[in-house]
Amino acid sequence: MTVMTRALLTPVLRTLPWRALAGGGATALLLAGIPRMLSGAPDPWLGLISLRGAALALALGLAFLLDDPARHITSAVPVRRPLRVGLRVALALPGAALCWTAAVFLVPEEARPPVGALTLEAIATAVFALASAALIIQRSTATEPGVAVSTGLLSTAAAAFLLLPDGWALLVSPDDPRWTDTHERWAMLLTVALAVGTRACVEPLRAWRLGSFRGRAQQAAPL
Amino acid sequence: MSDLPTTPTVSASGLTLRYGGTAALDDVSVRLGEGVTGLLGPNGAGKTTLLRVLATAVPPDKGAFTVLGNDPGTTAGRQEVRRALGYLPQAPGFHPDFTAFEFVDYVAILKELTDRTARHREVRRVLDDVALSDVRGKRIKKLSGGMRQRVALAAALVGDPGFLVLDEPTVGLDPEQRMRFRELIARAGEGRTVLLSTHQTEDVAMLCHRVIVMVRGRVRFEGTPAELTARAAGRVWSSTERDPGAWAGWRTGTGSFRNVGEPPKDADLVEPTLEDGYLLTLDGEASEVAAA
Repeated sequence: MTVMTRALLTPVLRTLPWRALAGGGATALLLAGIPRMLSGAPDPWLGLISLRGAALALALGLAFLLDDPARHITSAVPVRRPLRVGLRVALALPGAALCWTAAVFLVPEEARPPVGALTLEAIATAVFALASAALIIQRSTATEPGVAVSTGLLSTAAAAFLLLPDGWALLVSPDDPRWTDTHERWAMLLTVALAVGTRACVEPLRAWRLGSFRGRAQQAAPL
Repeated sequence: MSDLPTTPTVSASGLTLRYGGTAALDDVSVRLGEGVTGLLGPNGAGKTTLLRVLATAVPPDKGAFTVLGNDPGTTAGRQEVRRALGYLPQAPGFHPDFTAFEFVDYVAILKELTDRTARHREVRRVLDDVALSDVRGKRIKKLSGGMRQRVALAAALVGDPGFLVLDEPTVGLDPEQRMRFRELIARAGEGRTVLLSTHQTEDVAMLCHRVIVMVRGRVRFEGTPAELTARAAGRVWSSTERDPGAWAGWRTGTGSFRNVGEPPKDADLVEPTLEDGYLLTLDGEASEVAAA
């Protein structure tokens, strides 16, 4: 850990949107606990829906992770943005992972869907939320994209459930023959979201075209 | 337009930046030297965009600039510019649960002041400079608007930057707070380059040794405040009735009308102010820009 990372650790920890993160985590646990709360035989369908709901709730909380009301004051500082964003993600990650693990174990084993596949869905949803927030920050002057991202995420989830054609379905049950194909699409979605998110974290607003000023800066001097 | 800085610390040429079909900056060339330079212009003139470009918060589409000899078009150059920069944005936001000290300390870390003892000394120094020492342990959400602006100024001043970019720092302050802020900016301008965007011509008249007027993304005037005022010489007159031929006219506290424009013959000419010069430089653009 560099000296800079160590120095930033405490203040960045304090700038995290803890209420939104805790809200997302608590809702996720609550949703995952539904099958256990309901009496009767364990229902795999209910287990699947509960875990998907938990994944969405976690992602909704993480959508606020990049909210930074002081963004404009800190927009032109020498410490690079990827480090600051990376630190925020790294600080939130253990809590999110712990919460997801707890959510998985809250669902009774008999009702639990394949954990690996559902974890892939949860990671892709969370990365999609974070990439959307990073993209909004890169493309606008918004300081707190969380509300817009969470609204968009809810709409996207509803659209994915209701509108996607069979060939593009994302939300199918484990006994569906499309289960494997669907999770290949989830993996693809995760890859794209990771690439977009990483690219959007390079610089706030639009990216500087590196080297584009070389030489021309010299022309500016003798005005 | 005399008195251009012979050794500019900030030099920009042909800066152009478009948002969709609108040119926020259209071939802007400026050069700034030590001291406070005022940036005037109506809403939508491109002042904030120019400041954000010079603060490296947003890259231009075209053009080039250097800050203290560094080219922000390269990664290393941009880092150097940011090390030499203090930026107070328009409507700065804060983490409300931080105290004034903690917030400035956070910005100091982001400015690469990693040595805790030296950094805390520097934070105390800037908080003292902006007269916030007494409330440094108070949470920002408990501070008044004027105090918050001073926290933002302290954050800009931390690390002793050579180039200070201030975007409308006196907006929303009461007259006493504005006067105090002027004092701070004047002091900050000693030995460094300050670019101050404002709607207040009094700020420019009292603080700035140079002034730039922007309209529709272009520089319309660059010179000294005296030169801007001189533009209105012989074009401001007093009358007992509102003069319909005046470009602008208003009733003053004495009951007479102050008119700005092309005076009629035998007009009772009065001493122009910087504001008169500014209004005549806009020449009707302000209302057009506002309407757009």
